[in-house]
Amino acid sequence: MKNSFSAIVSSLPASYADLRFEENRKVRIAYEGKELTQVATTLTSGGHVRAYADGGKAIASFSDPERAAAIAQATCTSASLVGTRREKKLRVAPAPVITEDFLINPPRDPRKVSLKEKLDLATHYNDLILKNPHVITTQTVYDEFTSRRVFVNSEGTIVEYDLVNVGVFGMIVTKKGDVVQRVRFAFGGNTNFAPLLDREDDLQKQIEKACELLDAEPAKAGIFPVVLDPSESGVFIHEAFGHLSEADGLQNNPSFRAKLQLGQPLGNPILNVADDATLPDHPGSYEIDDEGVRGMRTPLITEGVLSGRMHSRETAAEFDEPLSGNMRAVDVQFTPIVRMSNILIEAGDATFDDMVSSIDNGYYLVGAKGGQTSGDQFTFGAQWGYRIVDGKLANMVRDINMSGELFSTLQAISMIGDDVTFGERGGCGKGGGGPMQLNRMSGKGSPHIKIDAVTIGGI
Amino acid sequence: MHPIIESAKGAADQAELYWNREHSIDVRYENYRLQQVTENDVSETSLRVIKDGKIGTAYAVFPDQPGYLENAVAGAQYGDPVQYSFAGPAEIPQLNNHDAKAAAMTSADLVDVCETLKEKIGKHLPDVALGIGASSTDRHLIVQTSRGADAVERTTSFGYYVGAPFQGAGIGIYRWRSGTAAQAVDESLVDEFVEWYSWGERTSTPSTGRLPVLLTPQATFLLMMPLLAGVTGDAVWKKTSPLTDRQGEQILSKALTIVDDPLQSGHVDARAFDDEGVPCARRVVVENGVLKDFLFDLRFGAAMGVPSSGHGFKRTMFGSGNETATNPWFCCPTIEPGEASWRDLVGDMKEGLLITGGMGFHSGNFPQGQFAVQAVGFHVVNGEIVGRLDKTMISGNIYQDGMNVGAVSRETAPAGGFLSLGDAPYVLLDSLQVAGK
Repeated sequence: MKNSFSAIVSSLPASYADLRFEENRKVRIAYEGKELTQVATTLTSGGHVRAYADGGKAIASFSDPERAAAIAQATCTSASLVGTRREKKLRVAPAPVITEDFLINPPRDPRKVSLKEKLDLATHYNDLILKNPHVITTQTVYDEFTSRRVFVNSEGTIVEYDLVNVGVFGMIVTKKGDVVQRVRFAFGGNTNFAPLLDREDDLQKQIEKACELLDAEPAKAGIFPVVLDPSESGVFIHEAFGHLSEADGLQNNPSFRAKLQLGQPLGNPILNVADDATLPDHPGSYEIDDEGVRGMRTPLITEGVLSGRMHSRETAAEFDEPLSGNMRAVDVQFTPIVRMSNILIEAGDATFDDMVSSIDNGYYLVGAKGGQTSGDQFTFGAQWGYRIVDGKLANMVRDINMSGELFSTLQAISMIGDDVTFGERGGCGKGGGGPMQLNRMSGKGSPHIKIDAVTIGGI
Repeated sequence: MHPIIESAKGAADQAELYWNREHSIDVRYENYRLQQVTENDVSETSLRVIKDGKIGTAYAVFPDQPGYLENAVAGAQYGDPVQYSFAGPAEIPQLNNHDAKAAAMTSADLVDVCETLKEKIGKHLPDVALGIGASSTDRHLIVQTSRGADAVERTTSFGYYVGAPFQGAGIGIYRWRSGTAAQAVDESLVDEFVEWYSWGERTSTPSTGRLPVLLTPQATFLLMMPLLAGVTGDAVWKKTSPLTDRQGEQILSKALTIVDDPLQSGHVDARAFDDEGVPCARRVVVENGVLKDFLFDLRFGAAMGVPSSGHGFKRTMFGSGNETATNPWFCCPTIEPGEASWRDLVGDMKEGLLITGGMGFHSGNFPQGQFAVQAVGFHVVNGEIVGRLDKTMISGNIYQDGMNVGAVSRETAPAGGFLSLGDAPYVLLDSLQVAGK
C-alpha cells in the first residue's frame, strides 16, 4: 500500500503532494451514573491527500482507497484553480526526506489488554464515585485511540507510524439542595495502560472536592490578582498564548503578525515557554507529525522575549522560519493543521506560599475547566478556587470564569513557581479555518503562577 | 434493507444501521486571498444491536466492513439491559430539502460566490483581513432497523460567510447565509457586515454593575444552550436538570416562546427523521415562559414512560458525528419573534450592552443555567454605540435573569453556526451583571 500511494503522489502534476492513509481503532466504554451506556469498538480507515500546484493548494479526504488516484488528480486540478487566483504563491519549505517507521510499543500496550479488563477498570472507578451519598450521577469513560498511519509525499518520504492514546476520565456530579457541582478527573493520557491503574486515592480527592463545592460561595465579579495552579496555568498558556504561536493563525492576519515578530518582548524575564513533542509520556508526545516532519522542542518565549513559533511546511516557507513539526490531523476526515504538542511554562523560583502571601485580596484558582480564545482575547474556567485574604487562603468559591487580553496578562505574570506539573488528559479544539478538530493529544504543563490582574466573572 | 440487517437477525435480537454518505466542497479565502479548496467524499456508519436484552455498538466506514457486526455483538455481551426497542416502520415527512443545483456545484462555482463577496465588501473595507468562504454538501442518510424502520433522506446544503477581526484585535464581525438550495449572494449581508464592522473601530469598557443587555440573534445561545441542556430527557431523568418536575411552571419571561422545529423547509439543520429513524416533529418547549415539554430519544423516552419525540441525535453540546452516542438533543430550535425593533431598543438604552457573542461559555456551570463569559459586542451610551467592548464580562443565570426580558424583536436572523440553532430575534435582558471598569 505504501508503494502504491507513493506512486500516486509522485505522478501528480504538482509542485508538492502528499497522501496520508490511516487505519484507526477506538475503544470507548462509558458509564452515566449506574448505567453502562457504551461498550463500543470503532474501526475506521481512509485517506487524505494534499496538493500544491501553480502556487495554489487543495485537499481532499476519501473513504474508499480505490478512489485515491482519481481524487488525487482532482485535488491537483483544484490546487491549480487556487493558484490562478493568487498573486502570492503558496509553497512548502524544504524538509528532510524520511524513509523510516515509527511504531509504538508502550510498556503496557492497551491494544493487548482485554476488553473485559478495560470494562472492569471503568466499572471499579465508577462504583467508587457512586458510593458517595452526595453524588447524583457520573460520567466515567475509558477512551482508547490507536492509529496506524502511512504518509508518503512526492519528494520520496515514506513513513509508517503509530499514534496511541489511552485514558480514563470523567465527571463527578454532586448535589445539595438546588446546588449542582461538577468536578473532573483524568488518568493516563499517553501510550501506556499502566498509569490508569491504582488511582483510587487520586479519584477520592476529586470526589471530596466535588462535595466541598456544594457549600462554596459563587465568585465575585471584578478585577483581582490570582494564583493559578499548574492545571489552570497550563490551560492559560495553551489558550491565551499557544494558539497565537501557531503560524497558520497568523499567516493571513497582518495586525497580529506585526505584533508577534520574533524578538518582541512579551513578558517579564522570568517567563520561559516552549512547545516540546519530545518530552516522554505526555499527551502531545510524538516522533513525527502528519506532514512527515519530526517532532521537536521549540522555544516560544525565552526570558520574556518571543523566540519561536509553531509551523507547517507552508507557514515556515512564508515566515522564513525553521520547521517545528507541529502539523497534526485528528483523523482522516481532517487535514493537518498547526497545533501544539506539549506546551509548558518552564519552572521559576517562587514557592506557592510566596505567591499567596503577596496578595491582600484575590483568588487561588484550581483545576482546568476548559477555555476559549479569539486572537488576543481569552476566557477560561476553574473547577474551584479559594479567596485569598491578607496573604492567606480563605473560603472556597465556585462557578468561576476569568478573561483577559494576552499581551497585558503576560506582562502581569509576576511570579513563577518551581513545581512544573503536566495534566494527564490532553485536549484542544481548533478549527484552523476548517471544521473543528478536537485533539486529545495536546499536553499542557506549568508550575503555579501569579498574575497581578485578571477579570473574574461572577455575581 | 441493507444485507447487514439480515445478517444481524441471526446474530442478535434487533439491529439498527445508521449510514451517512457525504460529498462536500469548501472554498476558503483568508485576507482577501483564495487560500484552499477542500473536497471530501466520505462514508460513516454505526451499527447498534440488542442481544439478550443488552445493547452493543460498533462504528465503521462502510456497512460491509469485515468484523463490523461481530464487534457490535461483542459489545452487547457487556452492555446494560435496555428497556426499549429500535424504531419500527413509520411514515416519514417529506421535506424536499434536496436541490439538484446545489448538489452539482463545483469548486469553480463556489470561487465565483466568494469573488462576488470579495468585490462587494472590498469596495467598503479594502484594508481589513477579510475571510470569505462558501461550501456545498450533498448528503445521503439511511437509518434502517430489523423492526422495519427504513428511513432515507437526501439533502443538500449551500452557504457562504464573511468575517474579519477588528483592526488590531482578535475578535470581529462574522455573518453568513445558508440554506438547502443554491442561491444568489444576498446583498443585505454586505450592507449588514459593513455597518456592524464600522461600530468596532474604537473600544469602550462599560461600568461594573447591573446593566441592560440586548442579545443579538447570534448571542441568544447564552439563553438557549443552558435551557436546551435542561430540557433533554437524559438530564431530566437523571435529575441533573434544574427543570426536573417543573413542567407547567413559569421558568422564563412571558415574552419567550421556544420551539424546536426540525421540519423547516430550506433550513440546513432540518431533518425528516432522527438518528434512530423516528419521524421528527415540531415541539413547543417553552410557551410564553411556561415549560411545556422535554425532548426524548427512544432510551430516555422508555425510561420515563413516554414515546420518543424524534430527538435521538448523534449530537451533544460539544460534539456531533457518527461516533457520538445517540442521546436526546434538539434539532432546529428557534425563539419566536416579538414586536419590538432592535434599533429602537438600542436607542432607548442610557447605558447598556449589545452582545454578539460570549467567550468561555462552556467552562461555566451552564447545566444549572449559569454563565460567566467574556462579552463580545458593543457598548451603548445614550442610545448610541460608542465602541466595541473591551475587558468586559457578563454573568448571570438564565432562570433568574431570563425572567426579566424587556422585549423581543420582530427581526430575526440565523442564531448559531456550529451550535445548530435556528433563527432567533434580538432579546433584551433588563438587567445583567457586568464586570467592566
